Amino acid sequence: MRDDPIALQLPWLKPAIERMPDKPVVLRITGLTKWFGDVCVLDGIDLEMREGEVLGLIGPGGVGKTVLVKICCGLLEPDAGEIEILGQILSELKEKQRQLLRERVGLVFQNYALFDFMTVGENVAFPMRQRGGSSPEEIAAKVQERLSEVDLPKVGNLMPNELSGGMKKRVGLARANINDPELIFFDDPTAGLDPVTSSKIFHLIRKTQSHRNSTCLVISHDIDRMRPACDRYILLYEGKVHFSGNEGEAMRATDPIVCEFFRRDEGKK
Amino acid sequence: MKAVAAIGRKFLEVSDTVGGITLTMLRILRGVARLSFDRDETWLNLFKVGVKSYPIVIMTALFTGAIMVIQSGQYVKQTGATGLLGWGAGYAVLAEVGPVLIGLMFSGRVGANNTAELGTMKVTEQLDALRALAIDPMQHLVVPRFLAMVLMLLLLTALGDLFALIGGALTSQFILDVNWQVFFNGVFDSHLLPEYLVGLTKGVTFGASISVVSCFYGLGVSGGAAGVGRAVNNCVVTSAIGIFVWDYIITYIAN
Repeated sequence: MRDDPIALQLPWLKPAIERMPDKPVVLRITGLTKWFGDVCVLDGIDLEMREGEVLGLIGPGGVGKTVLVKICCGLLEPDAGEIEILGQILSELKEKQRQLLRERVGLVFQNYALFDFMTVGENVAFPMRQRGGSSPEEIAAKVQERLSEVDLPKVGNLMPNELSGGMKKRVGLARANINDPELIFFDDPTAGLDPVTSSKIFHLIRKTQSHRNSTCLVISHDIDRMRPACDRYILLYEGKVHFSGNEGEAMRATDPIVCEFFRRDEGKK
Repeated sequence: MKAVAAIGRKFLEVSDTVGGITLTMLRILRGVARLSFDRDETWLNLFKVGVKSYPIVIMTALFTGAIMVIQSGQYVKQTGATGLLGWGAGYAVLAEVGPVLIGLMFSGRVGANNTAELGTMKVTEQLDALRALAIDPMQHLVVPRFLAMVLMLLLLTALGDLFALIGGALTSQFILDVNWQVFFNGVFDSHLLPEYLVGLTKGVTFGASISVVSCFYGLGVSGGAAGVGRAVNNCVVTSAIGIFVWDYIITYIAN
């Protein structure tokens, strides 16, 4: 990474491994490349996440943030590069082993992806029921606990189409958390939500993370509201990691693209 | 040159579809052989696919039997060979018309619905959500639907045969003035068991064909609501073609 010309221009671009040296690496991406036809969406992405870290992944629309997350979850195959999640190299795993790994990883989808043929309670219970080993009473209790955590204790019997967008996001969060995953990906969890609900969602993410010491990667465009939730940011630009650092480093940056993202208000003045 | 290119493109499209359907079928059969499928989902699909299809199948079968009797009734009355009415209608219904018409109704009701459901799940990322939750959509959604469609089309064909004969008997009694007992004697004295078994074999084959085709198109949807519409359209057309192709093959082998 240090040989990268952009990294040389931006001295605060340091690998995460140098920032939190005591914590084990939960996610390590090396040289990740993804093409769609003639378009190179991700061009040699390198990044690392340490245990307990909340990483904000930002960048302009269409830069490949969701693609990156989907590749990490094994939903898309990369064209090149290596991904190590929770100590396992993704490309070396067979489908059955990937399924076992996915039980330790959560994903909250941008457009909720709640199962519309199930009630909210069944949606949240579903991953736990499928994993097995828990009695119906245990599942019901945990579902109630997770729904209470997201301030939706009374919606278990409703269908997803009876909920508002913000409520669906929170149900998605509860579902992703039901099996206590060690690593959670949030794909634009506040897309289309009002500012108050967005703040609540980010507060929930931080609260969930601190309760369980899970590691979270959050995609969002709403930098102002995601600030309290994130320890560090990665800015993707033109398929590459353009910036990696905490809020202070971002605010001190002179790079125009970083400024554009983090100090838009100053630009307007 | 353009014509050759168009033919080549079409050939590749058809090869892609046939290859995709074959691969889907192999993956389903592997799931069935390994008994790796969701039991609860299978029971739910047996209900959705089978129980909810009874009314339309009974209606189709009653009219099919009735039409067969009306068609053959003119000649039977002219010749006075009323004993052949049951044989004629029974042969046509049990071996050919019953399974084919029930299969076509089934593909329109269940196959199209299956493609639309899976397609909508695909475009709303529900299939990705399943995979992200460590659940294989093949085990959870596809194999249960395959089993439900195969088993239920077998049972619906058997039920449809019965109601087609009842429809034929009622028509023969009230339209042609041929006693219903004469009609049923004609059916049973004709030893139509082989035709009946061929018809049931067609039911199983059509069920497998419709389920594989509908799952293939459902899982392959792209492009939002318009994509779902295209997939449903393709499913109904391909299922109908599949029914006639398999009907031809089984009829050829049986004879």
